[in-house]
Amino acid sequence: MTSAQSLIGRTVRSRYAQTTKMIYYLTRSPLSTAGLFVTLLYIGLAIFGPILVGGNPEFMREVLYYHGQYIYNTPLPPQPAFPFGTTYGGYDIFNGVIKGARIDLGVAALVVLSGAIIGSILGAIAGYVGGTTSDVIMRLTDIFLSIPFIVLAVVLLMVLGRTLTSMVEALVIVWWPYYTRLVRGQVLTIREQKYVEASVAAGSSSFRTVLRHILPNSIYPIYVQISLDFGNVILTLASLDFLGFGFAGNNLAEWGNIIGLATSGGGGVETITSYWWTILIPGLVLLALVVALNILGDGIRDVTDPRLRL
Amino acid sequence: MKLYVYIIRRLILLIPVVIGVTVITFILSHADIGLLIAGYEGKTRTLAARLIVIHELHLNGPVYVQFLYYFTNLFTGKWGYLSPTEPVDAGTPVFTEFMRRFPPTAELSVIAAVLVIAIGLPLGVLSGVKKDRTVDHGTRLAAMVGVSIPTFWIGLLILILIGPSGPFPHFLQVTTEGQIDFLKYGFTSKGTLEPWVASTGSSGISRPTGFMLVDTLIYGDFPAFFNALEHVFWPALVVALTSFGVVTRFMRSSILESLGQDYVRTARSKGVPEKFVVKKHARRNAYGATTTVMGLFFAGLLSGVTVTEYVFGWPGMGQWLYTAAAHADLVSVMATTFVFTIVIVVANLIVDIIYSYLDPRVRLD
Repeated sequence: MTSAQSLIGRTVRSRYAQTTKMIYYLTRSPLSTAGLFVTLLYIGLAIFGPILVGGNPEFMREVLYYHGQYIYNTPLPPQPAFPFGTTYGGYDIFNGVIKGARIDLGVAALVVLSGAIIGSILGAIAGYVGGTTSDVIMRLTDIFLSIPFIVLAVVLLMVLGRTLTSMVEALVIVWWPYYTRLVRGQVLTIREQKYVEASVAAGSSSFRTVLRHILPNSIYPIYVQISLDFGNVILTLASLDFLGFGFAGNNLAEWGNIIGLATSGGGGVETITSYWWTILIPGLVLLALVVALNILGDGIRDVTDPRLRL
Repeated sequence: MKLYVYIIRRLILLIPVVIGVTVITFILSHADIGLLIAGYEGKTRTLAARLIVIHELHLNGPVYVQFLYYFTNLFTGKWGYLSPTEPVDAGTPVFTEFMRRFPPTAELSVIAAVLVIAIGLPLGVLSGVKKDRTVDHGTRLAAMVGVSIPTFWIGLLILILIGPSGPFPHFLQVTTEGQIDFLKYGFTSKGTLEPWVASTGSSGISRPTGFMLVDTLIYGDFPAFFNALEHVFWPALVVALTSFGVVTRFMRSSILESLGQDYVRTARSKGVPEKFVVKKHARRNAYGATTTVMGLFFAGLLSGVTVTEYVFGWPGMGQWLYTAAAHADLVSVMATTFVFTIVIVVANLIVDIIYSYLDPRVRLD
């Protein structure tokens, strides 16, 4: 028990030192720095945003009357009282966009980290144990990868019900196979290295060999994949909410849902055209975060493995 | 190994994957037995009808018997009936609806894939050859924004662009949703909206293939053909804009890799002009590597098509999936999932065969 604890302690400490070094190299490139800055800005927004704008942190502020005018069906353009305007239902877009950071980033973090952990464990088992176990896991991975992810998510949401929890569950089920495939490939290469052989010859258990030697050496591609996947999960979440497969209640402060509200007026293309801000502003907020995350992911890849530079 | 032996081997290896996919759809569709029974009842919601369905699907039997009957139904086209709660087409067999919904989606996906290849590959080559120049930075930025852009959002923006208040002259504007603009070209020589708008009816003209672009050409109705082409172009462009980034990035890295190879140095040192070095040596070798990533790319493309169909009101599988899921029509949702998965599995197989044809060095085993 003690040795396992010290083992994990040492792993965490060395990991911390490497991460600090990685952040130093990352900030040498102006583009990656910009990506990191925007991402941190959104993380700050996710933590403090709902406190700053007040009200229920999950739902948008609804304003039905403005200067004695009933605005449920007439979105107001951007003005001092509503910096980003309002959308159908009298929802304040600025309020929703600020609160949306917590929901979008929170769901994405839960999904990506759970997916990465489940996928990495399965991938490490498949790569290290090999044989029939590996075949079963990899065929399962293939099957999950051949269903388009939006379709699989819609089916799972239908079966699991439409709540925040089932949204996270559905996205985790969609996301783990990518990590399994990635980690298995890594483990297969690293398993043949001399230091792994030395560790086995010195009498390490399989658990120790995998945890101490194989996983630390295959962690960087997982970092890169995680940082690139954050954006993809947010895009998928927004698409599902836009299509109306989100959790119940159409005043949820989620960026895809806010854009979806813009199309709920029922007037077709002409209505959308006359209220451009209901689409353009939440979309740009979403796009800025996803671009920043992708730039950051590319930066991390350049730092960790310059050979892979695309 | 000969190529045809390889193809046969791959076809045999396809069987476990297809069975695995049916196991997944079996588990998902039997997760809510009530919805499943409702899906097979059709319009008659009586106790007797329910008992017949339970008997036919052997829902009282053990799981493997249930799976066997599920599997048989799947491959004999007994996919259930559309839910009565749906606004149109209630009670239609799901397989008939599938036959109607598949051609528009296939048309859209193929044109989107063509656009992706037409935009993505040349940009990747250009970006790789002009590494670290302005063109390269611009292309990389475009690819980055392309993979980051939400499909539904760019779809809505394009709708604004081509809509009545957009900058285009009236004859280029798109004023109705769907495959063709019945306000402009819907009336055929017989003076009805058929067959281009309503596919079944009394006009006596049938739709031979169901593919709008093919059918209009067969009848020689060129105004309708060009209108259909315009209607398919915009959604296809939306899908292409959100998927070309992946292809461009892979093409760029494989061009860079093959430009560093010995045979390129040899070609340069014997005085081959740079244009031919890129064209004959680097690019041909880079195509092979890019082909291998096409497999995963198809899954993303079809996901994009699903969302785009909803935005553009395109009468295909994606919109069907959306309507069915919104009306708790489980059998339709499972049918869509099954079809999409089979399409991707087959597409991956075709990609692998093309790859082994393009790059003879690949060992076929």
